[in-house]
Amino acid sequence: MTSVETAARSYRVLLERLPVRRIILVILSLVIAYGVIAGTVATLQTGRFTAEDWVDLFVAGVARGSVYAIIALGYTLVYGILFIINFAHGEVFMSGTFTAFFVAHALADQGLLNTYPVPALILLFVVSALVSMSIAVILERVAYRPLRGAPRLVPLITAIGASLFLQYTFRGFYGAQAKAYPNIDILQGNVPVAGFTIQRAQILVVAGAIILWLALYLVIERTRIGRAMRAVGEDREIAALMGIDVDRTIVSTFAIGGALAGAAGILFVQLFNSVFFFMGFFPGIKAFTAAVLGGIGSITGAALGGLVLGILEAVGPILFLTGIGVPSPNQLQPVVSFGILVLVLIFRPGGILGAPEEKRA
Amino acid sequence: MRRLPRYVRVGLLGGFIIIYLTAVGMIAAFHERNIITGVVQFSVVLMTLVYMAAGYLAARAPKGGSPPLRPTRDALIAGAVGGVLVGVFVILMTVLADAGYTPRDMFIAITPATLDILSFDQGTYLSLPVQAVLGAVLGLAGGYLSTATPNVRSTVTRAISATLIGALGAPLFSVMMAGLGIPSRWLFRSEGLTIVGTVFVVGVTLLLRWYLLRAGGVRNALDRVPGVTRKNVNVVTWAVVGVVLAVLPWIVNTFVSDVLGTVGLYILLGLGLNIVVGYAGLLDLGYVAFYAVGAYSVAVLTARSSFLVGADVTNLAPDGFMNFWVAIPLTIVIAVIIGVLIGAPVLRLRGDYLAIVTLGFGEIIRTLVLSDWLKPYLGGPQGITEIPSVPVGPFNARDPRILYYLILGFVLVSYFVSTRLKYARIGRAWAAMREDEDVAEGMGISVIKYKILAFVMGAAVGCLGGAFFAAKLSVANPGSFTLLVSINVLAVVVLGGMGSIPGVVVGSLVLVGLPELLREFGEFRLHIYGIILVAIMVFKPEGLFPDARRARELRGEATVKEPVPALAGAAE
Amino acid sequence: MKKKRNLGFLALLAVLSLVIAACAPGEAETPAECEADEFGCVEVAGGEAIKIGSLLVITGPNSSLGLDSQYGVELALDYWGADEFDGEPGELLGHPLELVAEDDGCSAEGGTAGANSLAADEQVVAVIGTSCSSAALGVADTIFSDRGIAIVSPSNTGPALTTEENHKEFYLRTAHNDSIQGAAVANFAYTELGLRSAATIHDGSPYADGLQQVFADVFTELGGTITKQEAIQVGDTDFNPVLTDIAADAPEFLYFPIFVAEGGLITQQARAIDGLADTVLAGSDGMFTPDWIAAAGADNANGVYISGPDLASFSGDVDFYTGGFIPAYTDAYGEPQSVFHAHAWDATNMILAAIEEVAIEVGDTLFIPRTGLKDALFATSNFPGITGNLTCNPLGDCQPSATIAVVTVENGEFTEAVYSELGTLGG
Repeated sequence: MTSVETAARSYRVLLERLPVRRIILVILSLVIAYGVIAGTVATLQTGRFTAEDWVDLFVAGVARGSVYAIIALGYTLVYGILFIINFAHGEVFMSGTFTAFFVAHALADQGLLNTYPVPALILLFVVSALVSMSIAVILERVAYRPLRGAPRLVPLITAIGASLFLQYTFRGFYGAQAKAYPNIDILQGNVPVAGFTIQRAQILVVAGAIILWLALYLVIERTRIGRAMRAVGEDREIAALMGIDVDRTIVSTFAIGGALAGAAGILFVQLFNSVFFFMGFFPGIKAFTAAVLGGIGSITGAALGGLVLGILEAVGPILFLTGIGVPSPNQLQPVVSFGILVLVLIFRPGGILGAPEEKRA
Repeated sequence: MRRLPRYVRVGLLGGFIIIYLTAVGMIAAFHERNIITGVVQFSVVLMTLVYMAAGYLAARAPKGGSPPLRPTRDALIAGAVGGVLVGVFVILMTVLADAGYTPRDMFIAITPATLDILSFDQGTYLSLPVQAVLGAVLGLAGGYLSTATPNVRSTVTRAISATLIGALGAPLFSVMMAGLGIPSRWLFRSEGLTIVGTVFVVGVTLLLRWYLLRAGGVRNALDRVPGVTRKNVNVVTWAVVGVVLAVLPWIVNTFVSDVLGTVGLYILLGLGLNIVVGYAGLLDLGYVAFYAVGAYSVAVLTARSSFLVGADVTNLAPDGFMNFWVAIPLTIVIAVIIGVLIGAPVLRLRGDYLAIVTLGFGEIIRTLVLSDWLKPYLGGPQGITEIPSVPVGPFNARDPRILYYLILGFVLVSYFVSTRLKYARIGRAWAAMREDEDVAEGMGISVIKYKILAFVMGAAVGCLGGAFFAAKLSVANPGSFTLLVSINVLAVVVLGGMGSIPGVVVGSLVLVGLPELLREFGEFRLHIYGIILVAIMVFKPEGLFPDARRARELRGEATVKEPVPALAGAAE
Repeated sequence: MKKKRNLGFLALLAVLSLVIAACAPGEAETPAECEADEFGCVEVAGGEAIKIGSLLVITGPNSSLGLDSQYGVELALDYWGADEFDGEPGELLGHPLELVAEDDGCSAEGGTAGANSLAADEQVVAVIGTSCSSAALGVADTIFSDRGIAIVSPSNTGPALTTEENHKEFYLRTAHNDSIQGAAVANFAYTELGLRSAATIHDGSPYADGLQQVFADVFTELGGTITKQEAIQVGDTDFNPVLTDIAADAPEFLYFPIFVAEGGLITQQARAIDGLADTVLAGSDGMFTPDWIAAAGADNANGVYISGPDLASFSGDVDFYTGGFIPAYTDAYGEPQSVFHAHAWDATNMILAAIEEVAIEVGDTLFIPRTGLKDALFATSNFPGITGNLTCNPLGDCQPSATIAVVTVENGEFTEAVYSELGTLGG
């Protein structure tokens, strides 16, 4: 071996030992951290926004985060049991909400929406949840069940196909135009809470989300079907050996996730009262992000992830970017939220509440 | 539902499918599309196929069950049940409309005109018997096919498919025939086959079929020709493929050449992503990031509206900053740097976490090129215009045909490199890592290093694709770099068969070429795309052209029944 | 034996192809104009249809815009020659008119594919398109100009398309140039309403971005202050952060020339922001549809100003428009979803008139010189359309002066124009 070769070799060894990844990681986190802190300080120094502005934004973030959280539950439930990303879940959310629009419209035409707001709202929840639930169950039957045991990318592609299929199906059914959900009068306007004014719709949304989350929690922890779901998620074969009907359990999981998505849709339209065939796409992706952020597979994680993401989206761009003179900071919202997601995952690869290093064959 | 006899369930399903097609507007829209001009419309063909399928299935043995005792009766009933359902639907809708509950207020496609199509203009109440009889007859036909000998069955299906392919491809074929100087009016008219044309297509199919049956298959037929051996058949096949690829743009028109260029681009992208997803097993949902980086790098470096030469959209410079061929290596360097920057921090993540993070990077890049923040450099919503075409000597590369050859060249190179990589040391390391990361690590493979390597190679190829895309369009616009591109490329890879190089080619042809050629289906393009995606994945989860080893794994090692397709250079 | 059968099969194919070849029609003599024309002639044989292409957005989220224009084209082809809407394609010089509809996908790649598809059909005489500027600028306009096919856009309003630097030889448009509309809105806000500070929001589409930029430039020139130019993402639903940010400067005027879905939500959410209580809201033709009022809610939409081409000053044939065109449109396709069907109608008629002018009849064969057709289109002067009298300038703007109206919303319905301005390009 010549000396040149030895030198080259030791150089290579050195190169291999050099923790390039670590270095990049540290630099990256420092840059992001610096940006966030400097931006925040600079923004606050401008005094451009009042305390009330921040509270308003925060509350709006919590409200939209609650909706993300409930949709995210659908991702998390399915992932927890089948380990697939149900990419079409956003469309499940859309299907119920869009269909319930026609009920809401009919009710509004009859004046029933404002004379009997509570029964009307409950009816909307039921219709939306039922439709979404049926779509989710059909989806499982047609697109996912034949693919159990296939590599994980395969159901992902069917999910994407199903997602397009559902979007265009509902576009074919109900048309391409955005439609406005009729407003419910008692949900309009603000109420004073602790010196600040909060919109009534936001209160309904947050309260509704809490109820839905609690209901799901109880189902998972306290009921037979919940136990079956946890067992199948743990080990499908052993669960089957223990006498659990795996197929039924999986269908129930999709049904519950779908119903939650449909219900979340009714909350969603109280905040943003327009529906159209493409409306499920972005909330779907955001809810998925929320589920991963919180730690996919964990229903507490989904709730936490949704809230964090919602608040981050509402407050983040203005807080971090205004101060450093970036024009149109809100346009860069995906940069901020995905940037933070990356940062979180670098330090906690399993999400905020996930296992630190999840292993899965 | 489960209590109902199977043939009733199948029939009901068929009926529901027709109602579905009506409600999404396909029946009405496809009623304008001729299959046999003036005689049969595509809408009617759709109904026919559904009823026949119902009859066919009803007469078959269910999965894991015994065949029905009276298949003909079952098929007949299945078709009739479907027809009755459709008829009832038409009547119900009309009654509702008469009662003041216009179905159109909710389902926009259920119009009186559409219902007339379903009743074949016989009026609302006659629609029930009309559809029932139609369903019964066609169901019977389907049932007959189901019980017929394989020979008859395949002959009939081939004749039907040939007619459909001929009619649906009519615009393309007539253009190709015009390119070859053959008149086509006797064959095609108003985008459908003429009656003469139908007879011709069916006739040729039957003749070919009859001839091949007599000869006992293509191979046998060839074998009997003296002087022909398997080996020189292969040589001749490849030679023919080569010649076809070489002269293709001159047979088809510029539009088809343009589509072929787009398909080529997607093959390039697919080959790149195949390294990341297929070889290394990293789930990347943000491949568009590199596509965008490539396009924008070339745009900024070569465009006449680039800030580098002090210009913008409305104030052009006489020349770009540099020549395309100089910009390409620079673009690849940029891609490598960005690939490492993105890859290094996140590649430790597993599976779905990596998916969402890469998706995030795709969105971040798209947002950045769109943003007001970088508008002075990247043009914001207006993008960058006046990107010169690829300079290739005396030729005008704005011509889709010249571009086709350029892209074909790069595809061939990438194809070759991809194949070599797969069976090289590095490819084997990827395979080990993909199968089991921990074991691979234990075997002394530096998992992170190989992951980054795969990611960066994918990035470089993606950038190359983006560079050609920008030069092809002559503009770089943020609207071109959406999540849908990432999804498309991933679908190309998975649908073709993960890790399979020919699979990428097949996947691109099916997912990119077909939808472009089927542009006339307009608003239903993505709808049909979704259906195809689901159908192929459900019926062929290993992909259309699977990698031999992957396919074996999927079916389970012990049960290799089908012969493994011979891959060029498959020396494992 | 085997060989013989092979030969037999081949012979059969050969005979068939001979039969096919025998069916080829004879050719008419080519007139001298075609030899002289750089791009030659379109040759329409006796009984054959004259093909007119359209390249409009008919898929995706923006499809209602493109379909509306396409219906305008279809009606124009129907009406021509017959002077009535009979559902049958009209005839020009004894040849039926046929539409070849393509999709511009509202994107550069969609424009490329669609334009190549149309350009590949040698029978396509001229094209109505595109819907979206991003499908035209440097893409469709270039492809068609390279092949000598005239393209007339009914709804590209982006100023860049007809600048000295970017304009392509065969490109024209009947849509107004947004330099006129943006200026009109600025004048309205500054002079008519007497407001001195304004903010804008665009949605990342070239249309909205271009329009708000013209507005901002003119408003500043007039002496006003632009407090903030913000941007949002299409598909987003929560605009509280953007609006809070804008409200911090308390502008008197907020201009967001975007589309129905986001425009409705912004209108609605702006009403709930305290800092914007006194701010005048305004949008443009992207929101000039009852859908937007429905999306925003009538209460919220009341008092918002919307600008657009002035339908009332459609000087041409108002009676025909409201009494003939609109009923025929509604009959065939339901309620119109935008106003650009009128521009599409005018574009189609302009093209048909030009074809009639330049076409050369030899026997029953029609020869249409391509460059000649383009020249005739650019020479269009005082052509009576429903959007007004069209006169094309050398850069392809066929509405070098256009009347922009501003309407407002009262009780959930659009009012008559509250302001109307005749703007001229280059002024």
